[in-house]
Amino acid sequence: MATRRLTLGYLYPEIMSAYGDRGNIATIMRRCTWRGIDLDVHELRLGDPVHPDDVDIFVIGNGGESQQRLVAPDLCDVKGLAIREAVDQGAALLAVGAGYELLGRFYQPSRGVELPGAGLFDAWTIQHGAGLSTASRTITEARAERAIGDLLVRWDGGEPDGSLTEPAGGELLVGFENHSARTYLGPTARPLGQVVIGHGNNGDGREGVRLGGAVGTYLRGPCLPRNPALADFLIRAALVRRHGEADLEPLSDDLEHAAHDTAVLRVTAATRTGRRPGISRRVPAMLTRIVLPAGQAPAGRG
Amino acid sequence: MTALRIDRRMLGGLARQIPRGAVLVTGTNGKGTTCRLLARVMDASGLHPILNHEGSNQPTGLVTTLLAHSSMFGRLPADEQAIGLFEVDEGSLPEILPQVRPAALVFTNIFRDQMDRYLELDYLTRRWEEVLRALPDDTTLVLNADDPRLAYLAAEQDNPRVYYGLEDLGQGRGTDQTSDFPRCPRCTGELTYDCVFYAHLGHWECRDCGLTRPAPQVRVAKVDLIGPTSSRLQITTPASEVVVEIPLPGLYNAYNTAAAAAAASACQLPARALPAVEGVTTGFFRMEQVTIDGREVHLALAKNPNGYTEVLRGMLGDGKPKHMLLGLNDRASNQQPDVSWIWDIDFESLRGLVPAAVLSGNRATDLAVRLKYAGWLAPDAGERSTDVVVEADPLRALQLALARTPDGEPLWVVSTYLVLWQLRNWLRRQGYVGALWER
Repeated sequence: MATRRLTLGYLYPEIMSAYGDRGNIATIMRRCTWRGIDLDVHELRLGDPVHPDDVDIFVIGNGGESQQRLVAPDLCDVKGLAIREAVDQGAALLAVGAGYELLGRFYQPSRGVELPGAGLFDAWTIQHGAGLSTASRTITEARAERAIGDLLVRWDGGEPDGSLTEPAGGELLVGFENHSARTYLGPTARPLGQVVIGHGNNGDGREGVRLGGAVGTYLRGPCLPRNPALADFLIRAALVRRHGEADLEPLSDDLEHAAHDTAVLRVTAATRTGRRPGISRRVPAMLTRIVLPAGQAPAGRG
Repeated sequence: MTALRIDRRMLGGLARQIPRGAVLVTGTNGKGTTCRLLARVMDASGLHPILNHEGSNQPTGLVTTLLAHSSMFGRLPADEQAIGLFEVDEGSLPEILPQVRPAALVFTNIFRDQMDRYLELDYLTRRWEEVLRALPDDTTLVLNADDPRLAYLAAEQDNPRVYYGLEDLGQGRGTDQTSDFPRCPRCTGELTYDCVFYAHLGHWECRDCGLTRPAPQVRVAKVDLIGPTSSRLQITTPASEVVVEIPLPGLYNAYNTAAAAAAASACQLPARALPAVEGVTTGFFRMEQVTIDGREVHLALAKNPNGYTEVLRGMLGDGKPKHMLLGLNDRASNQQPDVSWIWDIDFESLRGLVPAAVLSGNRATDLAVRLKYAGWLAPDAGERSTDVVVEADPLRALQLALARTPDGEPLWVVSTYLVLWQLRNWLRRQGYVGALWER
């Protein structure tokens, strides 16, 4: 098979990478490399123009409100149209936290005028609390109104026609949420999944948004290393868009699944008992003890 | 709340009794080490520093420290040479500063640390700015010129300032992966760097408004990183130029030493006392060395991405392979289960230097995934891969790591707090180390 190439557009890497967001880039990068897919990472900074045909996967990460103010005009006026067109043509996109909040119709900060959104998703975000803008408040107070904690979401696993009507169906995504703004989905928007544990978009039981190959989410962690299925969903969408096919050979994801399952067990155990488990005593030994013999490379490395 | 109010009042009452006032040291990394270095210089100057310890750097802890030195009536003994030397939790500075009214206020650096606790760096610096407006006119600000977030703190105030910084361009790197790249503190424009020492510390300038790094009065002109446990520094102050050899590795300790020298200069301590920094002992977990049945074990605490990266660079900088135990847990005090910061540690550039690593703590599997995506398990052709074992229990992990380290080789331990705390308790019960409070 001829070498397949993909291009990733990393939006505002120096400004919007506050929560280990580089881990999402590293995950897409490695999972492409291990399958012999060449991935070019283009850093898209303030003022850089972008053409919709040039990027197969967009990624935008996290920042605070001041970072959001910095990038919102650029996202709207310089890059928004290209991002919307690319996603319309099937390109993949991952927007996490603050980046997710900027891709809807608008973002209403705690004070001042609303920030325009890039208009990709039929969604909007409102900062209900005073946020962090009142400097005299204590950190404890500022923290109390945030949705902070583990977030467990059931999604359809990326099936194109997947629906979440079957309550027990689907797969689990696990991550961490920390946001004080609430995101509301419009009538045409489809959530990424249903909240099992945590807060999600605004407490209505729905988390994130999905439009074709584009995903917006409050799942941090970063989300892709512990949710390899979501990473592969993005790569597959990008391959279909660029090469018209989505052959992805399976990888040996033992470590990723162990981290995923450990997190799921930890979160559910904490919820059942109403307190956090101690150091891994509750986690089955098979998950906490993985021995990779010397010299054994993960499968699928090209 | 009541207890806290009492604490604040008591803190003010106690701190005012110290004849020579106090020096406060705050920032994300290096507070404790800077205090220990400065304490040596104070000792050599004939002063009697009263120090607090890590874990007592919030209001209640400071009061406890001062009460431990006081009579039962809350009076500190009359000692004309007594001076307070307190590390202050960066989030607690707004509560502590108005009570203590320090002679000098030292800022080490500001990095992303425990994001969910301090939320955003901008928020933290805004709170600092606000509380600094009430700073007494004669408090000297001791500032890291190389940290653009700190260099122009309280810029509109007339307080005396002593800047410190690194000037050995040979130690610079082109750029560094960092998650909290600052914008210009004056115009929010983009900063450019002639030289980055690590993270966002370096010789910077704003592309838009031309604001530049202030010229430091206390400069580290030359840094020789001798190995994983020591370094030689040439330090220039307004009063002297000295070469010191400290038992601490890495560029981060060059900064800590510069901060201590600048604080000494701000307190007008005699220049002849500065070489006393050589006598500093490694702090609890700050490259603490333990011998276990004839084997050297080095313990280092790392709790944020820049700290973890610099500790690893300090250990692995000599290019010699090292056997390691790396720990990660998410459950220290009131922290949230967020370990996303491990993805901002620069494991990528250190691959191939660690033949074997045992990973421990309740988030050890997350660390294993991190190392896999950094290429440690299956590196590029010609590089050595790391044989990784996950063992969540810290004591079993230590046994395993000792067994897997070849005879005569030291074991290097880097971890967040809880894993180290459990290891150290065990080492104390076994008689390998003294109790924490004996240090």
